[in-house]
Amino acid sequence: MKKIFLLLFVFSLLGCEKDDICDATTPTTPRLVIEFYDFNASTETLKNVTKLKVKSDDVAEGVIFNESLTTPDRYLSNSSKIFLPLKTTDVTTKYNFTHNFGVAGSENTDILEFKYSTQEFYISRACGFKTLFTLNATNPIIPTEPFSSASSWIKNIVIVKSNLENENEVHVKIFF
Amino acid sequence: MKYTLKYSFSLLLLVASFLGNAQEVKVKDSIKPKTERYGLRVGVDLFKLTRSFYEKDYRGIELVGDFKLTRKHYIAAEIGTENKTVDDDRLNFTTKGTYLKAGFDFNGYENWLGMNNMLYVGMRYGFSSFSQTLNSYTIYNPNPYFGQAPEIPSGEKFNGLTAQWVEVLAGAKAEMFKNFYVGMSVRLNYLVSNKKPDGFDNLYIPGFNRTYDGKFGVGINYTVSYFVPIFKSEVKPKEGKKK
Repeated sequence: MKKIFLLLFVFSLLGCEKDDICDATTPTTPRLVIEFYDFNASTETLKNVTKLKVKSDDVAEGVIFNESLTTPDRYLSNSSKIFLPLKTTDVTTKYNFTHNFGVAGSENTDILEFKYSTQEFYISRACGFKTLFTLNATNPIIPTEPFSSASSWIKNIVIVKSNLENENEVHVKIFF
Repeated sequence: MKYTLKYSFSLLLLVASFLGNAQEVKVKDSIKPKTERYGLRVGVDLFKLTRSFYEKDYRGIELVGDFKLTRKHYIAAEIGTENKTVDDDRLNFTTKGTYLKAGFDFNGYENWLGMNNMLYVGMRYGFSSFSQTLNSYTIYNPNPYFGQAPEIPSGEKFNGLTAQWVEVLAGAKAEMFKNFYVGMSVRLNYLVSNKKPDGFDNLYIPGFNRTYDGKFGVGINYTVSYFVPIFKSEVKPKEGKKK
């Protein structure tokens, strides 16, 4: 009899459901990972951008680069690596890349359009599905003005990895 | 649910009393021979039955049976069918299928002669054949710059799925009226094999119930069953363990 009650007790503990919250470490829908490099260096050298704001025309605000800030500075990046969300409901996402945002005289905006295909994958009960992206083999990134143009601050783009699987990899290198 | 159970019990117990009366028309000997009754006990799981009434997204029935082999050993089986729709935050799916569990029970309760009450532990091997239909899902996007994508309807059906598992259980059965038993059992399940669909998972398996990250699962049933006596055997006084 005692054993049965013990078993009942164990069963009641098993009722707790811990797999109902999607763990933050689970790879889900990835963002596009971009690294910035020095265009003038003879070897590939990472270079920090200054006050880079990236914004879509479809959204009121820019992409948040610094979650901890509450000032408009949270939309500005001063690092050599940024993460950009792509639209999961579309196969094209257009971003305005504004370098030296708010700096009089040197503010410069280039527009890049990313073209890709999407595929959905099952993750788990708690996380549901994720979308993975594959950048198009031809013309995956279309600039509105050629990189050779003097007014373009972006000088070259290299696709490192066209299939976006997680955020621990670099997908695109931008030289400026 | 409490009330539904109560009514079900009352109804069944009423039926039981009639059946009980019908059986009592027998000529009694002046000296009763010491006999052990053997037979088949068949019943139904009230838990699944009542859930079908109060839960919109659930239909299920389970028939149970056990057969007394020796004073302590029973062979036992459950057969059932389930149709369950699960609506989670990010997924909505329907599982449909049938299952069969077979095994044995070991009775730890010292009965008086002729009684078949049980406090038991047992094991089962379970097999389920089922299908999953993914009704709808949402894309998990931790960076909803463009807003969260709406729920996507699917309707994709995965057929021909199977699972096998082992259960250990503990339970009790008590005779309420002549030959009528009520019982309950709790079960711990361990998946042995699980044929998962391509691009989805078996989040619910008929008979096994909800699956978790690991291989374990839990189950419960409340049964009413009727004991069909098949034969009696006389107990030889010398081999009796009782003093």
